Order: sequence, then structure tokens, then C-alpha cells
Amino acid sequence: MFRNQYDTDVTTWSPAGRLFQVEYAMEAVKQGSAAIGLRSKTHVVLASVNKANNELSSHQKKIFKVDDHIGVAIAGLTADGRVLSRYMRSECINYSYLYESPLPIGRLVVQLADKAQVCTQRSWKRPYGVGLLVGGLDESGAHLYYNCPSGNYFEYQAFAIGSRSQAAKTYLERKFGNFMESSRENLLKDALFALRETLQGEKLTSSNCTVAVVGVGKGEEFQILDKETVQALINEFEIAGEEAPAAADAEDAAPEQGGATEQGATDQGPGNEGAAPMDI
Amino acid sequence: MSSIGTGYDLSVTTFSPDGRVFQIEYAAKAVDNSGTVIGIKCKDGIVLGVEKLISSKMMLPGSNRRIHAVHHHSGMAVAGLAADGRQIVARAKAEATNYESTYGEPIPVKELAERVASYVHLCTLYWWLRPFGCGVILGGYDRDGPQLYMIEPSGVSYRYFGAAIGKGRQAAKTEIEKLSLSGMTCRQGVVEVAKIIYGIHDEAKDKAFELEMSWVCDESNRQHQKVPDELLEEAKAAARAALEEMDAD
Repeated sequence: MFRNQYDTDVTTWSPAGRLFQVEYAMEAVKQGSAAIGLRSKTHVVLASVNKANNELSSHQKKIFKVDDHIGVAIAGLTADGRVLSRYMRSECINYSYLYESPLPIGRLVVQLADKAQVCTQRSWKRPYGVGLLVGGLDESGAHLYYNCPSGNYFEYQAFAIGSRSQAAKTYLERKFGNFMESSRENLLKDALFALRETLQGEKLTSSNCTVAVVGVGKGEEFQILDKETVQALINEFEIAGEEAPAAADAEDAAPEQGGATEQGATDQGPGNEGAAPMDI
Repeated sequence: MSSIGTGYDLSVTTFSPDGRVFQIEYAAKAVDNSGTVIGIKCKDGIVLGVEKLISSKMMLPGSNRRIHAVHHHSGMAVAGLAADGRQIVARAKAEATNYESTYGEPIPVKELAERVASYVHLCTLYWWLRPFGCGVILGGYDRDGPQLYMIEPSGVSYRYFGAAIGKGRQAAKTEIEKLSLSGMTCRQGVVEVAKIIYGIHDEAKDKAFELEMSWVCDESNRQHQKVPDELLEEAKAAARAALEEMDAD
């Protein structure tokens, strides 16, 4: 099912000036389960959908604490995500050892993006197959960045990545104008609402999502909320959604596939002629 | 295209029978699809302007700058893959600081352009690398006055009075040719560049954009700086007014 002779190597340009290997890596981000992030003046909330591969297995961890002031949510190859979050942790710890102050988010994100870019220019490497939503606080306030496999990064007010993230993006696009003044509670509420959009009818519970938050001030360091707190929030906002159909368990893997193809139609997939090559 | 399927266009270390290196030409295509970047040399300095395309409305204005500072006296505007551009900027910064620590004075713009061009060219010489998917316009001010260079993915670098790369480069070049650059101050140049960028942007077809501008001139103390906000706003207003006037005709 290969598309052409230009898509097997990161170091080969296509005649139209595109790098297919990099575009395919960005496709991997769309296959992973959704992750979203949003920020106000004082808080950043990260949230993700958890999908277990198997009824007997647990799910992969998708939100990582990097430092007291930074956290990251990932979609795509979780193994790559863990490698990168370990890198970010060590960058943070080295910086604070050297300068006795926390690493600014913007700096960390550039370093991360440069690391990803190198993998798109060496024939013996492959691009990272993971998208990262990096959220955190520094002296200039709250920040949310999206880092993608191409080595690009973007700063957002709110964003969603992963499978069926378009639904969450639509929700966020409708609401993001008010996020700057949002309270912690309202931000969490919007995060959970957006997350539910990506589930398409499946019920949102504390066992299929992870939520993390970081805010200004003492006692608001980055923390992943525990199950009870998340369930309490869900109950409070009454966003449990409709009961999932009984057959859902049987076709656990199928919706993932469906989500991916559906995205290809709306987003600018590699098949889309004339799409700007590395825009997201 | 005659190059496709011949097998001569798959590696940067392969020449075609008629002496072309297709991989470099393909890399240049990535630059041709990006937002337009313009640089002009006025009588007292350099003005750089970028049409930065915005892919999502949730993206914050002012983020992902495409114009970078290289040294106190020079800056770079990037067209094409922004990630590749950062790599070139990092190298340029390193060359500039390294020169200053060795020779005790800021790097001449000519030398800087040559060193950056060699670096870009290096990536066209090995099969295990790919050429950069970006072109840069480098502006600076040294003892020989203001200078403007453009460096392409092939590694060539030329000095210009006015340069443009990206999607709208043809139209932009035609507009630049109409200006009398040698009699113009940077303050006037900023307005002209803004007019050109607004003029070549097709609102119906293209994505939304943000105008990003910087200068190195006498007014900025021969330092590379962002164009002051009030001047930028003034230039944008003038550009919009010029557009409306054109539509009215």
C-alpha cells in the first residue's frame, strides 16, 4: 500500500517539496487516543482519554509530570512520548540545579522541537511518532504548547490532538474566547466537556480519562488528579453522557480505526494535494 | 515532470544526466509553498517582513516568530519549514558569537552570510542528510553599512537591494522593483513592505495571516529590532487603505 517512491526515507524530498515520512509520523499522532489542553491566565489543564488494549490489561499512561511547574500530555507512540518526557525532566532538573530557578516553558519547548527536527534530517533516524501538549507556568504566566513530530511547535489557548480530536477542537473553538478569565473549576469543566466530545457516545468515567492541572501559587504545583476527584468532577458537571451500547466492548479496536479514517477526510492528510506540508 | 520515475531524483548525491540535482530543486519547492518573506535595503538600513500564515484561530498571536535575531546587528527571516529554519538560525548565532570572541568585533554581514551559506550547502553533499526546506533572508548593519543577503536551500547566497521568497515572491519582486529604494528611509520602507504583503495576500484563497516585521537601521541604533508597535499598526492601516483604494478603482 505504498504511495510512491518518495515516501520511504526521511531524507528524500518529493517533487512537490514534501517529506512524506514526516507526514506519516504526524499521522501516528492522529491514531493515538485523544489528549487535550487548555489554559487560563492562572491555570493550565491537560486531559486525556485512556484506552486499554485488552480487557485484562491496564491502559498506557498519557500524562506525565515533568517538573513542579510543567506537565505534558501525549498522543501517538507512547514509547516515544516517554523518551521525550524523560528528556524534558532531565533538562528541567539540570536547569534548576544550574540557575536555581525553574526552566521557562518556552525554552524547554524550543529545545524539544530542535531535538525532533534533527530526526527529520538524518537518514539513520526516524521522526518521533508522538504529539505533545506541553503545559506549564513560568514568570510570564500560563502557557500551552503543541509540539509535533516535524519539529514545529505552536502556542495555543486551547488545543486537542489524537483520534477524533476534531470534535474536541470544534467544542474548544466555540469556547476559547472566554478561557483567559476562566476559573480553575470552569477550565476543568470545559476540559471534561471537550474530552467527552472525542468519546462519541461512550460514557466518560474516571477510569477512561486522566486529568491534570497546574496553577499559580503554593499548593498548585502540577498534579495528576486522582480517580475519586475526577469522578466527583464528572458527577458534579453531570457529563456522564449516554450509556455506551452493549456491543461496544466487542469492537473495542474498531472505533479507533473509524476515527482515524474520518480524520483523514477533515484534516489535511498526506493524500490531500496541495496541503501545506508541515503545517501541523 | 520528466524527473519522476527516472531514479535520478531520489538522493541528494545523485546527478541527473543533464547535470541537475533534483533533490535540491524539490527542497526549493517546499520554500515556494510557504508564506511570502520580503527584505529590502533602504538608505539607512534593512527592513524584513513576513506573511506568517495562521493555521488555527486558537493559536496565540505573536507566537512562532519567523524573524529571529542572530546578533545585535543582524536578523534573519525564514521561509519554508520553520523547524529547519531554527537550525540555521542556531548555526548563525553560533558563528556570530564565535567570530566576536575570536576577533573582538561583531561579525561582518558578508562573512556571516558566507558561513551560513556553507552550512546550508553542507547538507547538499551527503546522502545521509537532506537539504534544508527553507530559504532565509539575512539583514545586518556593519562598518560597510546595511546589507541584505538571501540564502537558498542549495547553499547559494547573493547580496540584494530587495529580495522575496515564498508563495508570492514573483508579485512581490515586481512591486519591489517599482520602489526607489536608495532614496527611502526605513520608516517609509516599513510601510511599503506592509503594503506589498497585504497586496499579494489573497484573502479568498489563503489562510489568515499575521504581519511580522523587523529592522536594522539608524533609527534602531543599528541594532536588529522588532518594528515598534505604533509604526507597525500605522503601516498595517496604510496597507489596508491602499488595498481598499485599489478595490475601489
